[in-house]
Amino acid sequence: MHTTPDAVHVAGLRKSYGSVHAVRDISFSVQPGEIVALLGPNGAGKTTTLEILEGFRRRDGGEARVLGLDPGDRSGARQLREHTGLVLQEVGVEPYLTVRETVARAAGYYQAPRAVADVIGMVGLAGLERRKARKLSGGQKRRLDVALGLVGNPRLLYLDEPTTGFDPAARRDAWDLVRELRQEGTTILLTTHDMEEANALADRVIVLSGGMVVAEGAPSALGGRDAGKARITFRLPDGFSTGALPVPATAASGVIAVETASPTQALHLLTDWAVREGLELGGLTVNPPSLEDIYLRLTSDAVAPSVPERTTK
Amino acid sequence: MTTAVTTARRPRGRGTARLLVHQVGYEQLSFWRNPQSAIFTFLFPVVFLTVIGALFSGAGRSSYFDGLSVLQYYVPTIAVLSVFGSCYGQLAVALAARRQNGILKRIRATPLPAWVYFVGLVAHCILVSVIDIALIVGIGRLYGVPLPSDWPQIVAMLVLGAVCFCALGVAVASVIANADAAPAVAQLILFPLLFISGTYTPIHSAALNRVAGWLPVRPFNEALTGLFTGHTGTDWRQLGVVAAWGGVGAIVAVRRFRWVPKP
Repeated sequence: MHTTPDAVHVAGLRKSYGSVHAVRDISFSVQPGEIVALLGPNGAGKTTTLEILEGFRRRDGGEARVLGLDPGDRSGARQLREHTGLVLQEVGVEPYLTVRETVARAAGYYQAPRAVADVIGMVGLAGLERRKARKLSGGQKRRLDVALGLVGNPRLLYLDEPTTGFDPAARRDAWDLVRELRQEGTTILLTTHDMEEANALADRVIVLSGGMVVAEGAPSALGGRDAGKARITFRLPDGFSTGALPVPATAASGVIAVETASPTQALHLLTDWAVREGLELGGLTVNPPSLEDIYLRLTSDAVAPSVPERTTK
Repeated sequence: MTTAVTTARRPRGRGTARLLVHQVGYEQLSFWRNPQSAIFTFLFPVVFLTVIGALFSGAGRSSYFDGLSVLQYYVPTIAVLSVFGSCYGQLAVALAARRQNGILKRIRATPLPAWVYFVGLVAHCILVSVIDIALIVGIGRLYGVPLPSDWPQIVAMLVLGAVCFCALGVAVASVIANADAAPAVAQLILFPLLFISGTYTPIHSAALNRVAGWLPVRPFNEALTGLFTGHTGTDWRQLGVVAAWGGVGAIVAVRRFRWVPKP
C-alpha cells in the first residue's frame, strides 16, 4: 500500500433504534495522528457513531473502517481492540479493586501495554495506587477510566465526552493529557457538546445534528463561515421597538441585536439615527459571532427538518 | 507501515493459560473483597450447616430423612446449595450488575477474548464452590458424618453441576434487562427451586418430587447424596437432566448475552 489509510473512514452511516433515527447519514474520515471532535447536542448521534466504530453496535447501513478493518466484522475484533482505546461516558470499574489492580488487570489483556505506573502518573492518580475504586471521587474515577483507555498504548483513542463532570482544573489536566498524546502521534476521535473543548483540542470539528453532519472544518474555519459578520448589541429606552430602527434587528430580554455582514455601515446608520432621535444606545458593543453562536445556529437549523420524520411512525 | 494493523498474535497455549490465571486471580480478588458476595454466597451455606449440626448432631437415622441421619441428609444438599449460590446466584446477579455499570463494556473494549472471560468466570465460580464444599464436608466430619470414598466421581459430578449452574446463571443475566431486578429475579427462581428439590427439608410428596426430578437441582442432590452415602454406580438419568439444563442455559446465554445495556 502506498497511501496511508485513514485511521477512521465512515460513509453514509445509518442506525435506527425502533422508530428513532439515531444516525441518518454520517460520512467523515480521520487521518492518522489527527484529533477530530464530533460536536453536537444530546441525541445528535455522536455516541451511536462512536459505538458503531468501537464494535458495540451494528450499523444498519453505510461503510465503516477503523485502522483498515471493519468494526462490524467479528473476525478482526481482537486485532482492532489491541490498537484502540476508549474512554466512556459511564465509568465501569470493579469497586473493590485498587487503582493499581484495576490498571494492572487491564494491562494484562494487551500484547504491548504501557507500564502500569506510567499510566497512573499520566492521568494524575499517582499516590492513590492503593485506594479502592469505590473510595475514589467522581473525578478520580473518570481519571481511572482514562487510564484504562490508555493502558494498551492505543494508536487510536476514542474519548466519549471526556471532561463531562470535571471541575475546571481537572478539565485543564485532561486537555493537557490529550495534547501530550497528540505529541506521541495518537489519533484521537472525541465527542463533546462543548464548543470550547472542541476548539481547544481538535484539529478538525465535525458538527452533528439530528444524525447528520451539518458542518465540518478546522475550528477557525468553522468560524470563518461567518467571519465577515458581526453582532451589534445595545439597549433602547422604553417606548422604542425594533421596528423604528433603520436596520433589521431582533430583541431578546431587553437587548437589541443586529447581525450584519457590513458592521461599519450598520453602525453608522444606527448611531446617526440615535443622534437624530436624541437617544443614547446603552451598552453598545460590536463583536464577531462566537463559535458558540455558530454552533447553536448550525445545530438548531438542522434539528427542525428531522422532527416530522421522527414522529411519522 | 504497510498494513493497517499488525497481525502479530499472542502465542497460544502458555500465553492463554497465563491470561486465564490472570483473569481468575482478579475475579477472586473482587469476590473475596466484596462483603456481600463473601457473606451471602460463601458463608451462608457454612453457617446453615453449622446450625443444623448444633441442633441435630445427636439424632440418629430417621425415616423422615429417607433413612439417613439429619447431618447425612444435609451435607450433600447444602453442598449443592453452595454450588448453586456460587455459580448460578453469583453470575445471575453479578453479570447483570456489571453490564449495567459498564464493566462488561470496558472488558469488551479490550483484546481479552470473550471465551477467556467466561472460562475464567466459570473457573472462579468452581474455585469458590470447591472451597465452600471442603468447608461443608469438614463441618460434616466434625459432626460425625463419614467422609465419602469415591472422590473422583464426586469431583466429576461437582464440576458438571457447577458448569451447568454457571450456564443457567449467565442465561438469567442475559434475559434480565434491568440490573436492579436481577437479585429479585435470581432469588425468585433460586429459593422455590431449592425448596422443592429438598435442599432445606425432605419433600414427601411424590408429585412434587416428580416435578423436581426434571429440574436441575434435585437430580444433583440425589446423585451427590448417593455418592456421600456409599451407593456406587452412576445414575445416568440424573446426570442427563443436570447436563440438559446446562445445555439449555448455554444456548440461551450464547444467543442472548449482551455486553452493553439496551439503548
